[in-house]
Amino acid sequence: VIDTISSTLPFLFAGLWMTIKISLVTILCGSLLGFIIGMLRTVGGKPMSMILGIYIHALRGTPFLVHLYVIYFILPTTGISWLQLEAFPAAVIALSLYTSTYVAEIVRAAVDAVPAGQSEAARSTGMTGLQSMWYVVLPQALKLMIPPMGGIYVIIIKGTSIVSVIGIAELVRAGEHATLRHPKELMLIYGMTALMYFAYCYPVLRIARWAETKYGGVRLPS
Amino acid sequence: MDWILDYYNWRVVLLFIPEFTKGITATLYISLISLILSLVIGTGVAIMRISTNPFLWRPAAAYIQAIRSTPLLIQIYVIYFSLPALPLLDRRLDELEGGIIALGLNAGAYMSEIIRAGIESVSRGQVEGAQSVGMTYFQRMRHVVLPQAIANVVPPLLGQTSVLIKDSSLVSFIGVFELFGAGLTVLSERLMPTEAFMTVAFGYLVIYAVMLQVSNYAQRKLGGNRP
Repeated sequence: VIDTISSTLPFLFAGLWMTIKISLVTILCGSLLGFIIGMLRTVGGKPMSMILGIYIHALRGTPFLVHLYVIYFILPTTGISWLQLEAFPAAVIALSLYTSTYVAEIVRAAVDAVPAGQSEAARSTGMTGLQSMWYVVLPQALKLMIPPMGGIYVIIIKGTSIVSVIGIAELVRAGEHATLRHPKELMLIYGMTALMYFAYCYPVLRIARWAETKYGGVRLPS
Repeated sequence: MDWILDYYNWRVVLLFIPEFTKGITATLYISLISLILSLVIGTGVAIMRISTNPFLWRPAAAYIQAIRSTPLLIQIYVIYFSLPALPLLDRRLDELEGGIIALGLNAGAYMSEIIRAGIESVSRGQVEGAQSVGMTYFQRMRHVVLPQAIANVVPPLLGQTSVLIKDSSLVSFIGVFELFGAGLTVLSERLMPTEAFMTVAFGYLVIYAVMLQVSNYAQRKLGGNRP
């Protein structure tokens, strides 16, 4: 047993490192995209909000596995050269799009949660709509966004497990390879893999909960 | 209408209608059984979690944290690949049972958090009122607290059910045939990813749209205050 652990650990750590890389890149891209979409939905007009609503519902209504297959297998068949994605960018793009729908909802809920009196007061002092958003509403809304973002980060980390299907050597893939070498120790290897995910996600969840008691915050839409 | 065939060959899709129908039925069946399982687990765990007895709430909290901090895919692998033969069953779980149990255990943790929020939203006076007419703990839970608690959280429970339906696509990894598996069949037989997965995506979207309508209806009908 100790032999198995010592011989598989280096591979699992390599997988964990890949998982960390993907999740970090994704949280950056996904949050940025989601923030833009959420803001466009709140300040943009009716048609804009409707189009983005369809985008959010289309992504929310289908499993992440389907997004991944659409981006990795269907886009290359269009024949456009820049859509012929390698596995890593395809995984990051699919995860970022998926993340952006959650972030967009959080941004919108947070902006809505700032009392209307705040923006009304700002407008009455002569600020334009954009100024009141930037100087008055957003600073307050940003604080509300922090706690649910922890939940989003955990969703991303768990989502990275699925990109193993398109051949990225992340934690699940590393675990699968390890089980091929030690077919008798399945429970041990998958247990170790699960433990690594736990070690990565649990602190994030704890920090999110701590942030929630500190900043309050909007609920994560399910 | 023939120009569409270049982008989406619906004639091929028509050929595979039996597969897609079987797939969508299987997805709904798997989701329904896991939903029932998860609601039973969720209610039990929620009641354990709000107890003041550490022998009850600590295991419940550990279960919730363990499920929430690990990916569903790993949970499915652990339950399907790693569990040895069960003593009472005298054999190992097959892929359908393993998938459903993993999905139910996974969703159960999330459901229990929602139900717990529901139980906490029932006002203290309700419990005290039930106590004052001499109801036992189980009578209070069964007749007073749980009916109100569940009614208050029907919309988030339905939202979690949508997540469960989407998550059920992951059991195709262990070889269960469902909607996503139907797409994989088309891919492997015809090498047509667009027809395969756009149709699958459409199938999930239809289920999602129905769930959304049900959720809106429930929210209007029950008027539950979201905790």
